[in-house]
Amino acid sequence: MTRDGIAGLICLALSIAMLVLIRGLPQSSFVPIGPDFYPRIVLIIMAVLSVMLIASDLWRQRKHATAAAAGAEPAPEKRNYRLVGITFVVFAGYVALLPLVGYRVATFLFMAALQAMMEPPRNARRWAVVLISALATTAISYVVFDNLLSVLLPRGSWTGW
Amino acid sequence: MFDLLLAGVENILHLKYLVPLFLGTFVGLIGGALPGVTITMTIIIVLPFTFGMDPLQGLATMTGVYVGGSAGGAITAALIGIPGSPSAITTTFDGFPMTQKGQPGRAIWLGIWSSCFGGLLAGVFLIGATGPLAAIALEFGPWEYFALFVFALSMVAGLTEGSLVKGLLSGAIGLAITIVGFDPIMSVPRLTLGTEFLRGGFPFLPVLIGIFAFAQLMTDIEKMNESEQLSAPIKAPPLVVSHLKVLWEIISRPFLFVWSTLVGILIGVLPAIGGSAATVMAYDQAKKFSKHPERFGKGNPEGIIASEASCNANVGGSLVTIMAFGIPGDAVTAVMLGAMTIHGIQSGPLFVSQHPTIAYGIYAAYLLAHPLMVLICAFGARLFLRVVTVPKSMLIPNVLVLCVIGAFALNNIMEDVVVLLLFGLVGYALVKARFPLAPLILGLILGDQIEVNLLRAIMSDPNPWLFFTRPISGSLLALSVASVIFALWQHHRHKGRAENVEQEPDF
Repeated sequence: MTRDGIAGLICLALSIAMLVLIRGLPQSSFVPIGPDFYPRIVLIIMAVLSVMLIASDLWRQRKHATAAAAGAEPAPEKRNYRLVGITFVVFAGYVALLPLVGYRVATFLFMAALQAMMEPPRNARRWAVVLISALATTAISYVVFDNLLSVLLPRGSWTGW
Repeated sequence: MFDLLLAGVENILHLKYLVPLFLGTFVGLIGGALPGVTITMTIIIVLPFTFGMDPLQGLATMTGVYVGGSAGGAITAALIGIPGSPSAITTTFDGFPMTQKGQPGRAIWLGIWSSCFGGLLAGVFLIGATGPLAAIALEFGPWEYFALFVFALSMVAGLTEGSLVKGLLSGAIGLAITIVGFDPIMSVPRLTLGTEFLRGGFPFLPVLIGIFAFAQLMTDIEKMNESEQLSAPIKAPPLVVSHLKVLWEIISRPFLFVWSTLVGILIGVLPAIGGSAATVMAYDQAKKFSKHPERFGKGNPEGIIASEASCNANVGGSLVTIMAFGIPGDAVTAVMLGAMTIHGIQSGPLFVSQHPTIAYGIYAAYLLAHPLMVLICAFGARLFLRVVTVPKSMLIPNVLVLCVIGAFALNNIMEDVVVLLLFGLVGYALVKARFPLAPLILGLILGDQIEVNLLRAIMSDPNPWLFFTRPISGSLLALSVASVIFALWQHHRHKGRAENVEQEPDF
């Protein structure tokens, strides 16, 4: 099964789970349609489309299996999935830290960490660039949003600022 | 109408609005010129800055970003052969060869002037058509609205490249997201998993920012490697040119210019399709109508004019759809729609009549953004080339921080930032599974409206056949079926061509 089939399975599982969860919602005697009427239509359509996606994937797999010997597939372009994973983890850490240490500390740490991960500094000068740009982003964005534009930024429950 | 427009222009000329419009256009031009930063991304970055502004200031800024961004793509496309935004891809075909022939000034200014005039011509359509279209929409009952939204969704799902099933499924996922939260009639909480936060449903903007920003940024990060990170500074060529000659080159091709503009407007009016479809179609049409199609791709001015006129005309078309029907023409207008709701403005057929100052202010901002864009380019086109060398390792963390501010500042709650992260993962997963994002976003925007109008229609008359027997509603539903059949026919024709190719997300 390829990505299409897996995506179809996930969508099917989600639509079935949501269909189960909307069962038994309270109905009203004043309104002819219950709160589950529209969700049911959408989720059934989603489930049917998911099944169609899985079926078309399986059908294509069978066709490809018979024609597999025709020629080698071109090598896929090399992609840096490791860095994508790191970015998601660092970002999740930032989201977790924000309510604890506040915008200023969390943003400085996030900026420095992500820049260092994306382009590892090889010397002291590069480290200085990373730290200064992290500090500049934090300071400028704080002054512009919190002070000039009156947009409140997260305060930390540990630090109090 | 003209009185209101003049009042709108007068209003926007106040520094209070002119400065945000200028800054928006400037940032839009930079965002548009930066390869890897699309107009959608630029408007997401600008969004948190507009929270503290009054509604017209915020919308003028965004209009500036939209107009500037659409033209900015041409700068890098023509000068270094890399499209700054996906819609500028066709400008590279002839713009870059012209630069290589030693005419960078001609290449870039053909693009900028065509963008300016194409956008202004579309402005005439925007101002002239929005009111009458909104008046038609005002006659609609819930059956017609329901059918209109279903038509918009089916057309977008059908027009996306790749699998039709995936397009439709993407739209269904968007609709399914809107089910979460109170139902519109009895306010019964649905799928809230017992949480207080989800009772109001998923907040629209964090979902939108999460899906688009992460889908785009993570795709860029995937391609980062050692050699790409250390980009060499680009030397900007001199851009001296006779503007009169360039203007004559455009004016002397009235059919090409007007036709490309019309293509741009039409694609803009169609919901959620986006600028790159407009430029590709206009370029293709220009080539077909040309007496010398063999000259295309070798520095032909016609290619640049077609591409850039349609690109900015597309902006005007998109604004018509959002202002007359409340349906976004593309991802950029989807963010604008979200920004309007933050300021308590309901977009739709009543928008122009209920908020004439803001509506005509947007028209005026749109018109004034074009000369501003020309002015900024006259002084800053070479500067933009220096900006494009900013390393991604510095750019991406900054964009992510602005996404967090945009999500948090909506309601000042961390849950919105968690939603941003959650839908960031969803957006990236969908891109990796090669799902088109446009139908999802449209489903997300229209979901509540589809439900409300469906329920209203059934509650006022339980006869379901009315959806098919009322002339406008029936015609729109028939068009929905026709668009799916057309898409099936088209996919059958191009079978296998685009199915298994890892496509770049088009925003």
